[in-house]
Amino acid sequence: MNRTAVLSSEFVRLGRFFLEELKPRGRWLTPFNVISIPTIIVGLIILYFRFVYGIGSVTNLSQDFPWGLWIGFDVVTGVAFAGGSYVITFVVYVMRIDKYHSIVRVTVLNGLLAYIFYAGALVLDLGRPWHIINPIIGNSFGYNSVLFLVSWHFLLYMIAMAVEFSPVVAEWAQLEKVRKFLAGLTLGAVIFGITLSILHQSGLGALFLMAKPKIHPLWYSEFIPIMFFVSSIYAGLSMIIFEGTISHSVFKDLIGGRDHHQYEEIVLGLGKGAAITMFVYYFFQALIFIHEERWQLITDFWGYWYLVEVIGFVLIPCFMFAYAVRNRNLGVIKVASVMALLGIVLNRLNVSVIAFRWYATNKYYPSWEEFVVTLMVVFTEIWVFRWIVTRMPVFRKS
Amino acid sequence: MEFYTYLNIFETKGLEYLLLLSFLVLFILLVRYLSAPEKGGPGAEEKVSTKTS
Amino acid sequence: MDRRLFLKTAATGGAVLPTGSSAAGGKKENQEFVGVLVDTTRCIGCRSCEVACSVANGNFVPDPKSDNALEKIRDTSDKQWTVVNRFDTRKGEVFVKRQCMHCWQPACVAACLVNAMYKTKEGPVTWDGDKCMGCRFCMVSCPFDIPKAEYHSWNPRIMKCNMCYERLRQGKKPACVEACPTDTLMFGSKRELMEVARHRVYSHPDKYVHQIYGEHEAGGTGWLYLSAVPFDQIGFRTDLGTTPYPEYTKQFLVSVPLVLFSVPALLLGLSELTDRKNEVHAHDGWTRPGDDK
Repeated sequence: MNRTAVLSSEFVRLGRFFLEELKPRGRWLTPFNVISIPTIIVGLIILYFRFVYGIGSVTNLSQDFPWGLWIGFDVVTGVAFAGGSYVITFVVYVMRIDKYHSIVRVTVLNGLLAYIFYAGALVLDLGRPWHIINPIIGNSFGYNSVLFLVSWHFLLYMIAMAVEFSPVVAEWAQLEKVRKFLAGLTLGAVIFGITLSILHQSGLGALFLMAKPKIHPLWYSEFIPIMFFVSSIYAGLSMIIFEGTISHSVFKDLIGGRDHHQYEEIVLGLGKGAAITMFVYYFFQALIFIHEERWQLITDFWGYWYLVEVIGFVLIPCFMFAYAVRNRNLGVIKVASVMALLGIVLNRLNVSVIAFRWYATNKYYPSWEEFVVTLMVVFTEIWVFRWIVTRMPVFRKS
Repeated sequence: MEFYTYLNIFETKGLEYLLLLSFLVLFILLVRYLSAPEKGGPGAEEKVSTKTS
Repeated sequence: MDRRLFLKTAATGGAVLPTGSSAAGGKKENQEFVGVLVDTTRCIGCRSCEVACSVANGNFVPDPKSDNALEKIRDTSDKQWTVVNRFDTRKGEVFVKRQCMHCWQPACVAACLVNAMYKTKEGPVTWDGDKCMGCRFCMVSCPFDIPKAEYHSWNPRIMKCNMCYERLRQGKKPACVEACPTDTLMFGSKRELMEVARHRVYSHPDKYVHQIYGEHEAGGTGWLYLSAVPFDQIGFRTDLGTTPYPEYTKQFLVSVPLVLFSVPALLLGLSELTDRKNEVHAHDGWTRPGDDK
């Protein structure tokens, strides 16, 4: 009898607490709000047209180019950017390098939100989104499909990240016993999550293996899955640095200045990891280049474009990271991380859209509606992120 | 028509192994470069107590 | 029981078993995949096949008399499952019918995560709208760029030839084959079609290019083509290779269980190794020689 009374009063407390937390805080007219709110509204209008009149009414997708900005950028690039959470949880929970402990929560949160919103963007791109339950409910499993694997791993990975983040939610709701139980699941969720990440980061690359005659030979190789996986490591590290830079200025009240030296050490450490990973990735690219005898291909626009991507946006930021770590220069690290992220965007878009059917006469360019919807997805994600970090103990201990 | 061509073993495998060797050497140099942020080269002993308050 | 009796019983029992099971298990399925042979030297470009296909399948029916469609090269679309194109070559006009090739190991079937693209046991590759999510991965994967999406529908279909599968089940031939007035299209099992095609090439070696397109391309297709001119002059890709396209993903798919087995164990091992809970020495650094003295 007593137990039900305790449970029901907890329930009531939680309900009231959550309703209270839903109330908006802070000013309404911040620059971000002024830009993001109209964008989100226009995006929703575009989505109305998309669902009533078909995808072709708001995108430039065609029979020649079935995948465009929404898949190439929102899903494929976005997932690479979210690689930070599996790298950081590996470093902190498997290798137990405590130096990075303070950024685990925000990185896992970013990863979780990224996957939720990019899976959402994927649903918007589907022709018949209501059938998305088909590969889940066992109606008809396409075992031979790489996409089947990728979609299952997405789902399972979101669950793993939710488990990893759940202690923060429990702490926020002041449910100590629940928090303890969930914290005990962390290592298992982390190990599961890293395994899944390896498979779906490389899986996104494996999606393009059957498109061999349609992707320019400078970008196609049987090693695309490995390249996607390795580059997701430094993409994640660069994104942590990039998002951390922004968060530190936007949320500086929540973070406080006392941990600045520690933060500097963290950024330098991440930069070191990025430098090493990019070095390995670059040499891997060079090995494939030699193995596939791609010398003859560096004679036209595509050859130079390839060099721009691999030298300008992989090798150069790699050197910049190394130099910045050696000379403890945070400014250069931040620039290097932006260049590395641009390199990832270039690589993913090249494989999926730009160098895809490079011989086509009618090229694909994203429509303005596609850009707006992409921005809508990103802005909505930032709204949710902001809501969470201003209420839950993500940056600070409660 | 299939013609028999002599494979240039240097071009097919030699270059790759050269690349691999140079990668290993350069990688070691890179890690040493990254592990010594203070002036004074790869010696790390001086770095023990740099924790400032 | 003595040894001899035992051996006799075992031998007789062993001899009976295979025959017993084959009598009970039924005949072995000797289903051969069917296909169509397209002899482009016979096609006159009347486009009756286009009309018949659309009529039989409820698609847009073109008007060959007035639409002048042969003036430019067309692709199949979300409105038509097959088109005929005209090519000007050294040997004159060549008309080529284009549609799904019904590959023996289709890339689209391997790509489809819900088995909406499905190779039936008779051979035709079909699309099931009840399962399709519209992800368009089949479109990305098809080396012949055949599947087309209905981009302007709220409930889009993937449009491609299904070799009139429903008609085949009723014992009829595909609508295009029935409609063709010049015997350009011939329906049958691939084995039969290959024999006919080879016979034609051997009997008229100057008339045909000595290649049957589809014999090995992409691992072999159900639709086969004969031509008087090299195939790249009549709109065919000749760089598709002979490897079945699903093979390109085999390496990755095979490594998935390997990773799922080894990585968690590896990570768990690493986390145990780095676990400092039970560390023995109290020093901050390495133990030095002579410490325990």
